[in-house]
Amino acid sequence: MRIITISGVLRRLASTKLTLLWMLLLAVGAALSYDNPEDTSIWVLIVPMSLLALNLIAAIISNPRINRRGGLLVFHLGLLSIVVLAAIGRLTHMDGRVEIISGAEFSPEIVTDIHSGPLHSGALADVNFVQGPFTVEYRPQMMRGLTYSQVALPDNKGGWREAVVGDDRPLLVEGYRFYTTFNKGFAPILSWTSHDGRVAETGAVHMPSYPLFDFKQSNSWTPQGGDEIKFWLQLETGLTTEEAWVLDGRRATGTLVVNVSGERTELLPGESVKMAGGTLRYEQLTTWMGYKLFYDPTLQWMFLAAFITIAGLAAHFWQKLAAEPLGLDDALRHEKQHAKGSVPASRSAA
Amino acid sequence: MTELPWLYAGIAAYAFAAIAALVGVARLGTTMATVGGVSSVSESQRNNERLVLLLMTTSVILLTITLADRWLRIGHGPFVNLFELLISQLFSLGLVYTIAYWRIPVLRTTSVVVLPLMGVLAVWVMVLEPSDSVFPPTYHNPWLWAHVGFGKFFLAFCLIGTGLAGVILLRSYGFFKNLFRHLPDNVILDKLAWRFMLLALVFDSLMLCAGAVWAQDAWGRYWAWDALETSSFLNWLLLGASIHARTTYNVPIRLGAVLIISVLVFAFVTYFGTPFYSEAAHKGVI
Repeated sequence: MRIITISGVLRRLASTKLTLLWMLLLAVGAALSYDNPEDTSIWVLIVPMSLLALNLIAAIISNPRINRRGGLLVFHLGLLSIVVLAAIGRLTHMDGRVEIISGAEFSPEIVTDIHSGPLHSGALADVNFVQGPFTVEYRPQMMRGLTYSQVALPDNKGGWREAVVGDDRPLLVEGYRFYTTFNKGFAPILSWTSHDGRVAETGAVHMPSYPLFDFKQSNSWTPQGGDEIKFWLQLETGLTTEEAWVLDGRRATGTLVVNVSGERTELLPGESVKMAGGTLRYEQLTTWMGYKLFYDPTLQWMFLAAFITIAGLAAHFWQKLAAEPLGLDDALRHEKQHAKGSVPASRSAA
Repeated sequence: MTELPWLYAGIAAYAFAAIAALVGVARLGTTMATVGGVSSVSESQRNNERLVLLLMTTSVILLTITLADRWLRIGHGPFVNLFELLISQLFSLGLVYTIAYWRIPVLRTTSVVVLPLMGVLAVWVMVLEPSDSVFPPTYHNPWLWAHVGFGKFFLAFCLIGTGLAGVILLRSYGFFKNLFRHLPDNVILDKLAWRFMLLALVFDSLMLCAGAVWAQDAWGRYWAWDALETSSFLNWLLLGASIHARTTYNVPIRLGAVLIISVLVFAFVTYFGTPFYSEAAHKGVI
């Protein structure tokens, strides 16, 4: 009768052949995950990573070639921690998109395209900032340059402090990171008042991204008690493709073309038009900025774990190097013998 | 394109270095075979090695001027299109290999493998349109420098390992066996090659780590399985698995050499081939 011991099980789980097999399985999972295809399950990564983690734990405990070598031990522990942190990160992460108009305060309700882990418990409701104006630099031929987006944040003294974010400088609030995107544009602010005065609402109609869709700055809106209104925004932004240009909503003007049931009216800011059901007033032209929202509480820990992992590997290499510089001793010995004219034919030990 | 004459001169210097290296090794093998003496050959060989070193150093200097001239002209470093990426690689691979060639004599014979491999990059860069590039807004980030810098060392150490692996495989054939007979035994070359591959793994890991930090800053995610990320992760796995196999099992030396070469080939396809099958190597570049 065979006796199964813990050390026996650990040795089997720590098999170096299994390591290679799980690595191969992970490679297959990674290849299947290329470009995040919708029809590929996340399990093609979870399964091999879990198996590798198990293999790593067993090897760290039972393999003296790992646990008695400082650098190699740190490297393997680091790899394990990266797998664990990646798993925690996926369970607690959140990402989404948000379009916010200049002058408006952030609100969790305007976040769209949300993806979050089942254990996400961030404090998105506590996120507070006000979007300010922004500028985007363009080089000739409409090559997008740097984005400067102004935001105002509470300064914990009852006031506000200004910050400028953009491109690789995200806005960081309550652990949430807001990244500016190429997606930004104009938004006319409109007021609607019903004829009987019972309905009065004000809102912004986000026009398509500008200047990407400068040729179709149109959208529609159906007010309460009214018919669908089609809008077309005629913009004057100084846009030129031949020279460098800066997109700045504060310098732009826009005429709003309003179309209801085939009847066309042009409005400037401050003007209004009466139509069936009520009166529409074009209050002002403003801009909106599109942000990508990202939350992962493991980010800093992941960086630290990766750094320690590589440091462990480097330390292991350094130990080998100190013991025998680049493995050159044998080679140098051979060179000297070669220079003296006698080249040994025997194989030397590795 | 004021940098082109410097580029062509630099490539020509590499070509002459490759020819000199091949002639030197051929002469060494022939002389040793006919005369059988070593000391008389050594001075000639040393002169040849000095010539190769001089030509490689000249090439690196010329490529430095090429990059500096282009940088000043277009206003940013060689980080965007394939033309400038290849020039940059020719420069960095040449620089690291030249230093290794100078400081580690046993590596010198690998020049007959390494320099023709670099010739592939040189020919490639010459057939590309030398167009200017536009620096994307997400590239204004110090982590880009770290990412690219670590990647250069990773490729350079892979290249040196491949040089040794190439010598191991070539000396299996009669003609080359004679040419390389002054070199240490395969066991020693194999050991040295894997040391460089371990060093390559350190820098590959650093490259992935720095790239993830850059990606987080630039595009709001540290990993997204895009074409280049997937391929570079597979490359890291292949390198890691190869080192794991080499240290754990008695992998035959020639099989080990094939593994080393396959890592370099994979890296080559990853970093120079990905732009051909992916519209944007890293999503968000545009």
